Amino acid sequence: MLESLQFIYAPQIVNGLSIGVAVVLMALGLTIIFGLLDVINMSHGEFYAAGAFISVSLMAMGVSFWFCLLLVPMILVPIGFAMERLLIQKVFHYKDRHILTLLLTFGVAMVLEDAYKIIWGANPIKPSAPISGASELLGVMFPNYRLFLMGFGALLIFSVWALIYKTQLGAIVRASAFDKDMSSSLGIPVMRVYALTFALGVALAGLAGVLLAPIYSVFPTMGRDFILMAFSVVIVGGLGSIKGAVIAGILLTQLQSISSLYISPVWSDPLVFTVMVLVLMFKPSGLYGGMKNA
Amino acid sequence: MKKQFETKKIAVAVALCLGASLVSAQPGPIKIGVVTPLSGTYTPIGEQVKMGLDLAAREINAAGGINGRKINLIYEDEEANPAVATQKAEKLFQVEKVDFLTGTVNSGSTLAVGQVAERNNKLIATSVSFADSITGDKCSPNVFRVNARAGMQSAALAAWVDKEIPKSNIFFIGPDYEMGRSTVSAFKRASTEKGAKDVGEVFAPLDNKDYSPYFGQVRAAKPNVIYTSVAGNDTVRLFSQMEEYGLNKGVTLVGASGTVTSQNMGAIGKSANGFVTGVGYSPKLDNPANKKFVADFQKAYNKLPDLYGADSYGLLYFYKAAVEKAKSTETDKVRTAMDDLSWQTPQGTKKMRAGDHQAMQDMFAVRVENGEFNIVGRVPSDQAIGPDVCTRF
Repeated sequence: MLESLQFIYAPQIVNGLSIGVAVVLMALGLTIIFGLLDVINMSHGEFYAAGAFISVSLMAMGVSFWFCLLLVPMILVPIGFAMERLLIQKVFHYKDRHILTLLLTFGVAMVLEDAYKIIWGANPIKPSAPISGASELLGVMFPNYRLFLMGFGALLIFSVWALIYKTQLGAIVRASAFDKDMSSSLGIPVMRVYALTFALGVALAGLAGVLLAPIYSVFPTMGRDFILMAFSVVIVGGLGSIKGAVIAGILLTQLQSISSLYISPVWSDPLVFTVMVLVLMFKPSGLYGGMKNA
Repeated sequence: MKKQFETKKIAVAVALCLGASLVSAQPGPIKIGVVTPLSGTYTPIGEQVKMGLDLAAREINAAGGINGRKINLIYEDEEANPAVATQKAEKLFQVEKVDFLTGTVNSGSTLAVGQVAERNNKLIATSVSFADSITGDKCSPNVFRVNARAGMQSAALAAWVDKEIPKSNIFFIGPDYEMGRSTVSAFKRASTEKGAKDVGEVFAPLDNKDYSPYFGQVRAAKPNVIYTSVAGNDTVRLFSQMEEYGLNKGVTLVGASGTVTSQNMGAIGKSANGFVTGVGYSPKLDNPANKKFVADFQKAYNKLPDLYGADSYGLLYFYKAAVEKAKSTETDKVRTAMDDLSWQTPQGTKKMRAGDHQAMQDMFAVRVENGEFNIVGRVPSDQAIGPDVCTRF
């Protein structure tokens, strides 16, 4: 019993956590963009892929992985800013903008996916992990890179939370989301705040791409990998809530991880979606309300 | 006089028109539809299919075509999805009026497209799908397979495993669909017959991103051999994650021939070293036809062919031989010609077994060493093919 706890359950929980951090990193950008702009960004996964592809190219040019962590989000911020300004704001003022922005970002996703195939080719690329080896904890092996991912991811998630809830900049962002007209009459450049927040979400997706590329490899359709899970996490956690995304992300991935010990892996996805359906039925606002209510 | 001249002119014009219509009644190029994954996890496989077919088509067309008709390949992306594949196949049969169809990779797609072919009274062949059922209990008079099926690959691999690691404990990891189930059950049967022990199995969804949640089950089973039939990008993740967790230490990795290919080997890197598979082709095969094929392939694409490229290349020569023997592209005549047909491929002479439409060929055990598939064992075609279990025709 103790042995199975040590060699089967403990590693399983840690594996689940490392996937959980990955999923939360994906869900974070989604939930911020939704919480503020009311935009469901269907191209989020493709920006995750963008981060991975750009980092692979930079590393091929000799840039170190650690510098990529800084550089890739900086490259993606202006791209995200431009996309919000040039595309999303064009349809933002229509009455049915939920559908319009969803279709728009879905279209962008398809264009990006094909662009990756043309630029980088369809074959997978696998960057080597910048931290190799494994550590032994209580007789169980844990890959060092995954341990780093968990630590760094937790730090990142905390920083984003602190940025939005504990700084003046975050207060401006929240105010713009809460009442657009009031904020702009107080002199806040609301449109620029929207574009910057969208860019922050895109940069977070890209950063997740850099971080996860050494584990999951890089190929044009990789954006589809996390996107369903990330959307479920955002829905279960409550659209727009960072705390909700973190808690739901960890809960759902643990559910997947532990359940796969007992049931066939194909059933773990339906299990997650069942939870999502139940949440939608009984508490449609999710576990925690949106950013606007915070 | 003038009138006579006019009549003559009209007669010539009519004759010309008739001639023209006769010429247009002469068949144009032979259209071959190719429904293959050009996106998704099986893209690397679809690429080899395309390279093999294109190379063979160029050669055949340069040498005058089939019965004087050029080959025209029409590609459609099946996304390794049976639902998409059937739509694309239907379109190729109905709109493009293709004479023949090939390219399906996902075994589910091959089975589904086979039914579309039956409805349209056309023939298809797969040069990739492994699932035994395609030429077994779900065989179709309209479906042919020119590549080695799962059972044949297993025979070669099980013989090697039994020789190297007798009485091994084997854990099975397969993708959760027709091909995965089929390859795992085929290898399980072949290896347990030789005394190996089945210590557990797990089937992961296609396009699975993280295999580490299943490693708990693998660890608990304490295998010394792990068999897997995941393919494409999935292999890259499985192998590198196994390496990450040290799961491959003290374990011999074996698997289906589609698991490690020249397309994904670069991304897998050193984790692929030592992987052994049963396969119907290796670029290292030592015969003149293969040497020429490998050289031409490398010249055209600057990379080595793998089994998909080689079998897809051989497929067009199979179709050519059948149409030339039938002197027609009509379905019934070509089918009769294909039965028991022998033809030349880079793997040597293959023979199409009439009873189940499964090609017979020698099988090899190959080991991946620093990016090369070295041949470590061989099973002759009659021992590898297994019984004909098709009862539909």
